[in-house]
Parts: sequence; C-alpha cells; structure tokens
Amino acid sequence: METHGLTKRFGQNVAVNDVELLVPRGCAFGYLGPNGAGKTTLIRVLLGLTRADTGTMSLLGYPVPKHRDRALARVGAIVDEPRFHAHLSGRENLELLASAREPAARGRVGLSLERVGLSHRADDRVAKYSMGMRQRLGVAACLIGDPQLLILDEPMNGLDPAGMQDMREMILSLVAEGRTVVLSSHLLDEVERTCDAVAIVDRGRVIRQGPIAELLAGTSLVVQVDCSEPDRVPTLLERTPFGAQVQVGADGVAITLPAGTGRDVIAEIARLLVEGGVSLYRLQEVQASLESWFLQVTSRLEAE
Amino acid sequence: MTTVPSATALATAAVTVPPADPADHRGSPVPTLGMIASRFKELRKRRGLMITLILVTIGIPTVFLVIRLLLHALASKTYGPAGGYDTYTALVSGVLYVFGFIVAATLGATAGSVDLAEGMFRHLVVTGRSRLALYLARIPAGLAIIVPLVAVGFTVVCAVCVFAAPTRLEFNGVNVPVNLSRAGLETWAADHADEVICNFGFRVGPSSPDGSAISAVVNTVPCGNGPGGTSVHKLGPGAAPGSPTQPHASAAQIRAVAAEIARMNYSDYSAQFLYPSTSLMIRSGLWLELEAVIGFVVGLGLGSLIGQRTVAVVVMIVLEVVLTPIFSRARIPHLANLQRALVGLATAHLAPGGIPVFGSGGGGPAGGSGNPGLLPESTTVAVCVIVAWLVIWTGLGAWRMMTRDA
Repeated sequence: METHGLTKRFGQNVAVNDVELLVPRGCAFGYLGPNGAGKTTLIRVLLGLTRADTGTMSLLGYPVPKHRDRALARVGAIVDEPRFHAHLSGRENLELLASAREPAARGRVGLSLERVGLSHRADDRVAKYSMGMRQRLGVAACLIGDPQLLILDEPMNGLDPAGMQDMREMILSLVAEGRTVVLSSHLLDEVERTCDAVAIVDRGRVIRQGPIAELLAGTSLVVQVDCSEPDRVPTLLERTPFGAQVQVGADGVAITLPAGTGRDVIAEIARLLVEGGVSLYRLQEVQASLESWFLQVTSRLEAE
Repeated sequence: MTTVPSATALATAAVTVPPADPADHRGSPVPTLGMIASRFKELRKRRGLMITLILVTIGIPTVFLVIRLLLHALASKTYGPAGGYDTYTALVSGVLYVFGFIVAATLGATAGSVDLAEGMFRHLVVTGRSRLALYLARIPAGLAIIVPLVAVGFTVVCAVCVFAAPTRLEFNGVNVPVNLSRAGLETWAADHADEVICNFGFRVGPSSPDGSAISAVVNTVPCGNGPGGTSVHKLGPGAAPGSPTQPHASAAQIRAVAAEIARMNYSDYSAQFLYPSTSLMIRSGLWLELEAVIGFVVGLGLGSLIGQRTVAVVVMIVLEVVLTPIFSRARIPHLANLQRALVGLATAHLAPGGIPVFGSGGGGPAGGSGNPGLLPESTTVAVCVIVAWLVIWTGLGAWRMMTRDA
C-alpha cells in the first residue's frame, strides 16, 4: 500500500494532508493517531469510498482508482463500526457480500465464520449480535475475499479483554500467513503488541513512520532510581555532562537521559551516587513504550 | 517481526501492476445471477415490508371480495353477486392500479436506500464490484418480488369476478340474456315487447318517418298502474301528457316497435358484460404490471438519489394520489406539454378500454379509451414518456450510487 501526496479536503478542513505512506507486504502496520486525526478518511480514500483531491495511491501494486476493481479483489476492510443488514443472519450477510466477489468467495463463507469463532451463531439474525460479534463478523467479511491486504479500522472497539486477545492473535496469524494487515487505532498498547511498523498521523499529516524498534530507538532513556536520599540526587548529577533531567517523586527518582545515551552512562550515574554517599536500593532502565514515544512526539509538535 | 523499510525508501518505491485474473469480471457493469439472487433474498427477508406488500396487493382485494361473497351468500336479494364486470373494473382501477404503484414504489425506495442506511453499502463497495452492477442487480431482484405479488392479487380479483359474476345481465332494469347478437336482441325484444317498450330508452327525430309511428305504438302499451288503479302509459318523444293516443295497436306492431327500440339500444347493450373478457383481463394484467414496474424503477431511482426511504415513499404517494389525478384532468394553459410528461397520465392513456382511472366515472366501450376526461395524449407520446421516466430515474439512481461517498 503506497500513497504519494494524498490530500482530501472537506471544505476548508484538510482531513488528509499530503500523506506519503508505504506499507510493505507481509507485515502488521499500525496507523496511529488521536481521534479526528484523519485515520478513517485516509482509509476511505484508499478504498474508493470517497475521492481524493490530489495525490496518487496504489494497493497491492495496482494504481487506484484506475484499477480499483483489481486492487480490491484481494483487499478486505472494516471501516468504522461494522454494520450489516440486521434482519439477515451473519451467514446471509456474508453470502450477500460474497455474491459481489468472485464465485469462489461463496465457498469461503463457512470457513471465515469458523475462523472468527462465529460458526455457532452464524444463523442468528445480526440484530441479536453484540458489538463484539459484529466486529468478528466484520473480520469474517474481510476474509471471504482471501485478501492479501486487510485494512482494519479500530477493530478492537467494543471487544472485551478476551475478545481483544482473540483479535490480536487472529491478526498475528493473518500476518504469519503472509498477509498484510493495516491496523488503524488509537489504542497504542494494542498496536505495539501487534504491529511491526507504525505511522503516526496528526491533523491529517503523517508525522513519523517506520519500524517500531527503529522509532523507539530515537526516544529518551529513562532510569528509575530507588535510594536512601532522593533529594540529593539532583545536586549530585547537576554538574555531569550527561544532560540528565532529574525528577524526584513519591515513588523515587526518574532520571531522563537524551536519546542515544549508552548504558555505560547508567553505570557512571550509579558510581557517582554511591560515591556521593547515597545508598542505592534499585536502579532500573525503563523501556520506552510506544505510548510514551507518541506523547513525546505529539507534545513536541504542539509546542512547535 | 518483519523487516520494514524506513520512511526514506518511500520516494524510490516503484509501482508495478500485477496481471489481473482474466476470469474476474467484477469491473463489469452487468450484475451476476448470484448478486441478483442475493439481493432478492435480502429484500424478501424483510418481514415487515413483505407483510405490508402482501396485505396491500393481495389482502385488500381479497378482504373486499370475501365480504361481498359473504353478504351475497347471507342475503342474496339485498346484496348482488360478489364478482362481475363492474366489480372488476372498480378493483382494477381503484385498488390494484393505485396501491400496486405505491407498494412497488415502496419496495423500490427500500431497495435503493437500505444499503446506505444500514451500513452495508461500504462493505459492497469494498468488494471492488462495479457500483453500476450493484445498482442494476436491484432491478430484477425487486421486480421478481413485486411482479408476482401484483399478479397474485390480480388473479384473485379475476377469479372472483369471473366465477362469482351475476348470471343475468340487468340492462335498463330488465334482465336480458348476455352476448346476444343484434338480431338476437331484436328477437328477444319482440318476445318481451312490453318490458322493452316500458324500460328501454329510445329517441326518434321529429322528422323521422317512423318517429310518430313508434311514439304512437309506445303510447298504447300500459306500463304498470297509476293512482286509483289507472294504467300508466309510457309517453313517446313528442307526445304530451293527455294527448290523444292510438286506442289499439296490434301485437305485430308492438313487437316491431320493441325490436326497433332494441336495435337502437344495441350499442349500449353490447358494451355491457357480466364479467371481464379474457382479452380484457390479459390487457389489464399487463397494464397493472407495467404500472408496478414503473413504480418500482422510479422508487428505486428516487431512493438511491436521496438515500432515504421514507421521504422517497412520501414523494411517490403524493405523485400518485395527489398530483397525477389533478394534472391529468386539469387543462392548464401553456403547461399542457408539461402535464403530458407525467408518467401517471401516460399510463392512464394506456389503460385497456373499459378501465376507468382517476375517478373518471365508468368505463367506455371495450377497445377504446375509457377515460375521456383525461388531458389528450397520443399513445406514442405516452410510451415515450414512460420510457423516458424509466431511463431517467435509472440513470439518476445509478449516477448517485456511483458518485456517492460510502
């Protein structure tokens, strides 16, 4: 999935702003952003649900919208909350969708329902489904086309913890089969657990993208210290060349070091504190999370 | 975890178009049988809608006819037979024609708008199937529902009107055998001269050579008793009450005059039927189906255009029940051609002879227009108007579906 200079406006509001995006094949790709950032609009543009104002895009190598039919033949998508004909059963809804796809799709209806764990309720009317079951049915609707690319917009919405776990495992299994999954979400924790790479979108613009490990490597290093005299720590470290920022709190001292700081600096800090007469009970490097990184990036942008 | 290229690789990414599956025709605007069957099933499973359609197209005429059958069975002297020609024309023009259009439009508006309203439209668009094919699949699917329903309702009406028709024809208050030829009617009239002379209307011109002779004979025939037991005579044209009458007319004269009066009434008599003819029923059925097809296609287009069922249905009802009757009968200067563009007027002009529409007050003779009060329109223009409505509304609905944000 690839876009160049993609822009979509609604009047004066720029929902998608000059987006450059590359999603490689065979990975789980997180598309992250706060509510209203333009995540769903980008997906709708990609799927031909609405038209782009400018820019180019392609899905599975097919330029869209020129070869939209060929591209979407191997794409499955959930956009927004999955809704279906409530008077039909889950199976009938899928059969309706399968009839619009290639003939083989009809044969995948049962398998898709089985895969999302809805076989036992497949013949119930959708009106009786819970939100979580509708999400599963939405994923099943994606699978009937045997997609190479799945675009899932907030698929965890409405799921209980067990359902989220199931969904996570399903996404990982789809990726393990060689499919590409684009996961649009504002749940950073879920994306971090599921995806290999992410793009961060804010106010319609992609502000960062790449593999998660690569992106997190550029974040500050935080060291949590539990010691006998926390109040003396800032004084002991203020003349060091490490660029450390010290925050003393009720649960200890947090020392923030610039991105790229080596682990030997942590050892040096430990030595300085001990030599300064502070007894160390615990000193721990805190792994930077996607959430902390996201907050750093977005707060920096807001400050700018 | 997979290896993911960094963002800097974006600019160098090359686009290569993979070969398409030659067996996959999802870009074609022609819907597949599977799509039509699925859409048919989706519409058929709308329980509330289907019950409404059945009640209106089959239920209303059935209930009406059952009540008439019961009343006739319980009190045959007070209530006439349930069926018959007049009942047929009343039900075809007053019920099936109007309600058939409305239910067809309701089904069309539903088919045109529910995917959008119920969130299925985007699922369907994401399949990559041509939006035009998605739209066109609804037409045969919907017609496969409404056409049989109208046919069933119409069959019920035909069956009752034929099998529960009156056994004798009442013409000018006299029970007359049906399907007589002109000579047959004259012979029958001669045999029932008194009834014919007293009840059948006739008109003779003042200069007619036989006029005075007919009036003279008519005036001799007693037609019941007046006050005090005096006999009442029917007065022929030109005869004033109290004018001298011929005291006696021979039986042969009376028979001849009765036959002559029957000959004068033959054209009116021949337009009277006990029950609808097979030809009329076939033409009426096709006409009702045409009306239903128009209602469905226009409703589908309107529903798709505005994306809402309720508004579309209300607009269609107003068109059929309010606007069309008014503009079909009113003659508005300078707007006559615009009035002729109304599809309801066009279909009314295609009505089989004998079927009155828009309350025109009774059918004319079979084979001719039964709606003389309508704004004049040639059959060619009527057909063109109908075709234009079908094409334009299909075009509008399909265009909106193809351009709409999903």
